[in-house]
Amino acid sequence: MAAPLAIHLEFGGGAELLFSGVKEHHVTLPSQSEPWDVKQLLVWIQRNLLKERPELFVQGDSVRPGILVLINDADWELMGQLDYKLQDQDNVVFISTLHGG
Amino acid sequence: MPVLCNSCAEKRAVLKRPKTGHSLCKECFFWAFEEEVHQTIVAAKLFKPGESVGIAASGGKDSTVLAHVMKLLNERYKYGLELTLLSVDEGITGYRDDSLETVKRNQQQYELPLKIVSYEELYGWTMDAIVKQVGLKNNCTFCGVFRRQALDRGAIMLKVDKICTGHNADDVAETVLMNVLRGDIARLRRCTAISTASEGDGVVPRCKPLKYAYEKEIVLYAYFKKLDYFSTECIYSPNAYRGYARTFLKDLESVRPSSIMDIIHSGENLSVKEGVRMPVQGTCSRCGYISSQPLCKSCVLLEGLNRGLPKLGIGKHHRFHEKILSQQPFTEKEEKKLKSVEF
Amino acid sequence: MCQAEEEYSDELGSAHVPSVSKKCVKCKEATAAVVIRAGDVYCRACFKEYYIHKFRATLGKNRVIFPGEKVLLAVSGGPSSCSMLHQVQEGLSQSVHKKLRFLPGIVYIDEGGAVGRSVEERLRTMAELQAVFKATGFQFYIVPLEEVLDLPGSVVVSALAPPERANSTYKAEVDHFMHSNCSTRSAPQDQDHEALPEVQESATQMLQQLMLSAKTLTARQNLLNTLRQHLLVHMARTRGYSKLMLGDSRTRLAVKLLTSLSLGRGAQLAQDTGFSDSRYGDIISVRPMRDHSAKEVFYYNHLFHVTFLFIPSLDTKMTDKASVQRLTESFVTKLQEEFPSTVSTIYRTSEKLQTAGRCSSTGDQCERCLLCLCTLDTAVDDASAFQATLISEQLSQTAWPRVDRSKVAKHQGKPESTSFTAQYCSAKAGAQDCGGCCSFAKEPEPMDLRSLLCYSCQLTIRDMSSIEHLPPYILSEAQRRHRRCEMREEISEFLLDSGKDD
Repeated sequence: MAAPLAIHLEFGGGAELLFSGVKEHHVTLPSQSEPWDVKQLLVWIQRNLLKERPELFVQGDSVRPGILVLINDADWELMGQLDYKLQDQDNVVFISTLHGG
Repeated sequence: MPVLCNSCAEKRAVLKRPKTGHSLCKECFFWAFEEEVHQTIVAAKLFKPGESVGIAASGGKDSTVLAHVMKLLNERYKYGLELTLLSVDEGITGYRDDSLETVKRNQQQYELPLKIVSYEELYGWTMDAIVKQVGLKNNCTFCGVFRRQALDRGAIMLKVDKICTGHNADDVAETVLMNVLRGDIARLRRCTAISTASEGDGVVPRCKPLKYAYEKEIVLYAYFKKLDYFSTECIYSPNAYRGYARTFLKDLESVRPSSIMDIIHSGENLSVKEGVRMPVQGTCSRCGYISSQPLCKSCVLLEGLNRGLPKLGIGKHHRFHEKILSQQPFTEKEEKKLKSVEF
Repeated sequence: MCQAEEEYSDELGSAHVPSVSKKCVKCKEATAAVVIRAGDVYCRACFKEYYIHKFRATLGKNRVIFPGEKVLLAVSGGPSSCSMLHQVQEGLSQSVHKKLRFLPGIVYIDEGGAVGRSVEERLRTMAELQAVFKATGFQFYIVPLEEVLDLPGSVVVSALAPPERANSTYKAEVDHFMHSNCSTRSAPQDQDHEALPEVQESATQMLQQLMLSAKTLTARQNLLNTLRQHLLVHMARTRGYSKLMLGDSRTRLAVKLLTSLSLGRGAQLAQDTGFSDSRYGDIISVRPMRDHSAKEVFYYNHLFHVTFLFIPSLDTKMTDKASVQRLTESFVTKLQEEFPSTVSTIYRTSEKLQTAGRCSSTGDQCERCLLCLCTLDTAVDDASAFQATLISEQLSQTAWPRVDRSKVAKHQGKPESTSFTAQYCSAKAGAQDCGGCCSFAKEPEPMDLRSLLCYSCQLTIRDMSSIEHLPPYILSEAQRRHRRCEMREEISEFLLDSGKDD
């Protein structure tokens, strides 16, 4: 049984618009039998934080192409993407590249 | 287990480069990104020492990174360029007014002069007023045509030799795709050019120093450098068809990250059959701007707005050019056709 | 970026199918059976005429196939190539004036070994197609893809084209042919048609190893296409055919055009998607189905009982994002549904393109891609996507600002660049002189193929874990080319003027 995780989420580059314009979220993921990974985090965000138009944020079980993800300030492609196991106090940033020039 | 930087082999990598698949730490990424823009500028001979260059600045990510990097490289490599920020105020409340605030802050941060030209002063119309008349269907046509000319007019007021724009690799690749999907062979042939020569009076040469920079890297560069940029979508909905090409491109990038460069390579190496008719560029007989027709698109659109016939410049209405030039009135039937606005 | 940077006035018609009349637009009498484009409805008979006419017209207006020429039809068993076979049969049974005047043969390449089908499945497919082919009376060949492993090196060398036959002689030859006896039935075959080819298990294993060495489905599909193409050309050459007829439909070609574009094959688009393709020199590929949309093919096959099979391939049952090819196909299909002019617009683009003419007049083999045989598109300006990528590769592996001086080449004698001293190695020099130094393969490859490949085929090889499973004919030809290049370099200092270096 994994303990609840306190993590810090940040949305930028226009992605915050899908979360009522709020950029920073301090959230606590409830304890569950399996350790939390990014894939589950996306589901959790969709259920608990996302305010509108989920298709602009998620596609399939991943983020929509064009949204960059940083875990503790590193490209998630270096961290195992959806399979990364979240740790307490992790910082996850979602930046849209799809807005404005 | 953190991934180490491929370049210095010491620090923790912070990103995976889409263009090459390498992992770099923050410092090496900054260096590589800036160096690549420099190499692009040198290889394509974009500037000459002593030139005065206007940086088209919208407050968005691309132009913010462009302004930052141009300023930095101009100092690092002693280009000897005189840089100015050049912004266009389309008159869109709640969008451009906010993004112009970002540009004004950039002006302070980079200590560069700033010139703002507005649609209202140039054309007597703001985009807000245009949308009121034409609705949301073709408004992007007005905005695009007007902006192109507005940048030139601003550049001429500033007496700059060149304008550089923040078009990145994704934008260029997307435009290649768009032109194939539209069968626009003339644009397909020229859309990958990194710079345009002066096409005549009133047209200032343009170039794209970020042509080979991925959007992903531009956004991450801005993020890690904590650059101040504005990221709200224009409130007048963007072109839906272009959205398909964008989505396709992003999907391609996720399947094979080099796709964006691969498409640009394709575009640069296309060869068009001889005998395919290409439009001949002339000048507008009213304002002197380049045009393949007797009147430039901007003058026709403006004529339409001023006469209350907004559809005049939408679609192909070349036969009306003579009438406009000789100030003949339109027939009732023509008026009716040009007036109708679909929402 | 703002979306409105360039304006486009042409409206892209959305799919609004007007209410269709029930009568055929052609004969205005019979009840319509087929809707081709919005508004164009044809009855059964007029549709057949229209379909057959298009096939003949495409061949006629291009004037590539001469009377009496031996033409090998590449039939994959799918709807479009089977429809093409049916068209050729139709054409041969017409009256003298409309009759097709070439000598057809059929080749089917069984790719089951590369795709992972069982021996039984493969035999079943081959038996079904054999029955179809037999019924035509044409000479036919059923060949397993495994045979590609034993091809001679000459396959990847563009042969000299036969002396060009002028367009003006076409008419004369047609007339001549009409007056002579124009029986186009092939002589009875000597080949034993009952026996299906047997494949050695070890050969299938080698083929599978090769396919698996491609790490991405994109590369695997490219590899399969390349091997198939080589085997087709080899079959045509060794059996005395001078033309290869491919069954790509208009829809297929639109997808192919966008795929090729996305794979960096801009310079090769005209050859990849045009009516005729002469990259092999002596064997010309033609695509007479390029005016037929997938929908028309489907209707025709259905209405006129053309047999075709469904044969699983590499991307069968894969997701849209499994490969570039697969993604592009689903993109075009979806866009076509919403904008019915999509396919024809893309297709029109292909008609306006031609092969980039960078080939040196000497016809030197070093100038052609080892895999796709197109003219190399890698000798490009410093300011290009290719060079920009090479620069990125170098900058991503050299620790800054500790520049490895040995790799630094000065930007020579260009007036504007003197003030902006190029600090880094000119990637061009890197690519040409030191070959592998820019490659980011972790271990040294036994042989570096990059310099022998076009931009796009380099991408394919980059996606492979190793090149050692490539068929011997490719590797030996690569070695031969490397040796020739070395030799040329060695003797170049003794020559007064090498002639072709700039």
